Amino acid sequence: MPIDSVVVTGLGLVTPVGVGRETAWSQLLEGRSGLAPVRSFDTSRHSVSLGGEVKEEIAPELRRLPASIGRATRLAVTAAREALDDAGFGAAWDDDPTVGVAMGTTSGEPGWVEEMDDRWIAGELAGLGGGFLQHYPCHVIAAHLGEELGASGPNVMLPAACAAGNYAVGYAHDALKNGRADVMLAGGADAFSRITYTGFARLGAIAPERCQPFDRHRQGMVPGEGAAILVLERAQDARERGARIYAEVAGYGLSCDAHHMTAAHPDGDGAARAMRQALASAKLEPTEVSYVSAHGTGTPTNDKLETRALQQVFGGRSSSVPISSIKSMIGHTMGAASAIESCISALAIVNGAVPPTINYEEPDPECPLDCIPNDAREMSVDVVMNNAYAFGGNKASVILRRYSG
Amino acid sequence: MEPVVITGRGALSPLGNAAQTAVAVAEGQVAYGPIEDEVLGRLDRSGDPEALRTRMAGRVEYNPREVFPGRNFRPVDRTGQLAILAAEGALEGVEVAEEDRRGAFIGLVLGTMFGSVHTISAFDRRGLEAGPKYVKPLDFANSVINAAAGQAAIWLGLTGTNSTVTGGAAAGVLALAQATQLIRDGRAHALLAGGSEELSYEGLVGFEQAGLLSSGGRVRPFDRDRDGTVLGEGSALLLLESQGAATLRGARPLGRVLGHGSAFDTSRGRDPERAASALERAIRVALKDAGSPVDTINAVFTGACGLPGDVAEAKALAAVFGDAVPVTGTASNLGCCLGAGGAFQALGLLHAFEGGRLPALGGFERAPTEVSSLDWCREARTVDCRRGVLTATSFDGVVAAVVLERAGG
Repeated sequence: MPIDSVVVTGLGLVTPVGVGRETAWSQLLEGRSGLAPVRSFDTSRHSVSLGGEVKEEIAPELRRLPASIGRATRLAVTAAREALDDAGFGAAWDDDPTVGVAMGTTSGEPGWVEEMDDRWIAGELAGLGGGFLQHYPCHVIAAHLGEELGASGPNVMLPAACAAGNYAVGYAHDALKNGRADVMLAGGADAFSRITYTGFARLGAIAPERCQPFDRHRQGMVPGEGAAILVLERAQDARERGARIYAEVAGYGLSCDAHHMTAAHPDGDGAARAMRQALASAKLEPTEVSYVSAHGTGTPTNDKLETRALQQVFGGRSSSVPISSIKSMIGHTMGAASAIESCISALAIVNGAVPPTINYEEPDPECPLDCIPNDAREMSVDVVMNNAYAFGGNKASVILRRYSG
Repeated sequence: MEPVVITGRGALSPLGNAAQTAVAVAEGQVAYGPIEDEVLGRLDRSGDPEALRTRMAGRVEYNPREVFPGRNFRPVDRTGQLAILAAEGALEGVEVAEEDRRGAFIGLVLGTMFGSVHTISAFDRRGLEAGPKYVKPLDFANSVINAAAGQAAIWLGLTGTNSTVTGGAAAGVLALAQATQLIRDGRAHALLAGGSEELSYEGLVGFEQAGLLSSGGRVRPFDRDRDGTVLGEGSALLLLESQGAATLRGARPLGRVLGHGSAFDTSRGRDPERAASALERAIRVALKDAGSPVDTINAVFTGACGLPGDVAEAKALAAVFGDAVPVTGTASNLGCCLGAGGAFQALGLLHAFEGGRLPALGGFERAPTEVSSLDWCREARTVDCRRGVLTATSFDGVVAAVVLERAGG
């Protein structure tokens, strides 16, 4: 193991099934769903109402920050505080230039555009005030984390839509390898929003009752919200300070379909390329992957094309490598999704178990996969490939490996 | 570590394409002016004329039917169209075999502050007014902040690494930095890198209500009496390649990217001292990364655009360069182009490498009281420019710097 490998030493999670890594992990292993009728806005004019919100009763700490600070930022700060504590860094740093932040998002703080639009329609746009510019542009999520946590190193926002969490982990990995920072907080955050929900509803993409990735009768995805932060460091630093190491970030790959804004390439082209690049950068063979954390949104098209991409990369092993989609339980948390999935993947490595794909009833001949149906599985997990795909054709795969240094 | 060379450039601004813009900026032309209500188009619909009083902005005039002949441009919003036009310019004359493109030879790293806040807002308002079943799916596809990068990839067949990066107005410099690092690390061979930002009613309202737009309608970088900025728009992209890839295809480098650095001001601009020290740190990291002592730098192109943060930028430059290096920029001419600004600064520096003059800091008269010892470019001037630095300060704490060198050193 080279001494400059990048490792995960802290996790923070805010999800529709619970806040905190222990709660979220146990809920997911039990196959609990966090999907419920949407509360945060009126869905009476939609034909669907299912969503993955982080309900107030499970996340009272979200009220600690003022409401003018956007919801995605509040989700992110909550996750970051847990991750810092988990990594043993205490509450915050004191303006430390060796600590950086890389965050992903799909929409940033759409609540502020909604505020603008409500005022616009009411003829009260002049009352918008300075809050819009102060709290809307999506980089405020990373900036607020930097301010709140005293991290004055590199600070970037990577709005690569639904693959953004993986982009952030990749960016942080490179920043550490190149000595740009000694600690990086990497992750993703997105808030439930009328805009996002309306868009997916208009595309006919939202499942009416439940999310069933890879099932023959799957009816769609379910928009969700959440945040996750991973504390990343170089292995040597982590060992020297006696930190607990969850896993190593072994590699990542990015690609682009350059095919369609919202639909994946029919052969799974870009997705396969991202996976191959990730394996190459980790110097691993497909046979060494123990578990795949699927993008697995539950839409008829995604799951079929994701399977084709897996078949390209894994060949005959595609039907037997264990793969699951926690989106069956928490919905699609957008830019947070792959960051949450990376946290869960790290927990899978240390806990020797993987979460299930729930609501799985009938195999789909187009998705011949071992999708860990309905019940979690105890198994040794050495290498996880975490896949994430996005609008714009952005594809990102991250590989986590058991740290044995 | 692979050296990174610049082998192409493309842009669209109110002053024209990349070459036209660079020349016009050096000549002191101004790209912004009074904007008619009908150009912004939506003033009446807000029902609240008080929401936006300013009529000063920079706007690219183009007819999509003419610039995209024979292709359906309607799925692409303005931010995306600007990015595509800049990318086409940067790839002009670049002969990459179809199989190489399909083999993910070229990618794109795009900086933007807003993506298209107009697309997002229009989508939402239609849902509110006409009902959620009447929103436009095309608008939703473009509501993601990476839409412009995705659309440009589709338009041009760019299957390589595709990334959108933001840090407010520092996004363009951050994009050049990220692309450089991806190539150095061997993760990409060729990347278009820069920024795209559209002028929108929504953006103008946001800036005006935050009190950041110039009441006098003039961008006066660093000036003691600066009173805010004027928003511009456009897109500029450089083609960055590994030296090996460029040599292999016989491309002639325009310059090299020698180094980059970034940092964060945890006061988010509230404390000018901390803001200055963050930028100073970013510049020093970039210079060290570039292996370039201060005395090898012949010009600094800053992102200063008449905002309060200009003072921090000036302090940082004074701390690093004293009065030994001419300081200029492109915002006096182009206005504040947000996520595209850093890429326009790069065009200005490349122009200076090729014997073009350093543009004047138009509108600059008196130094801020806090800083005296800088070599301000009060007039355009000719210098033998071999190496230069681009700096960016977002008004939210993100700061970044990149060091470029002219071809042949």
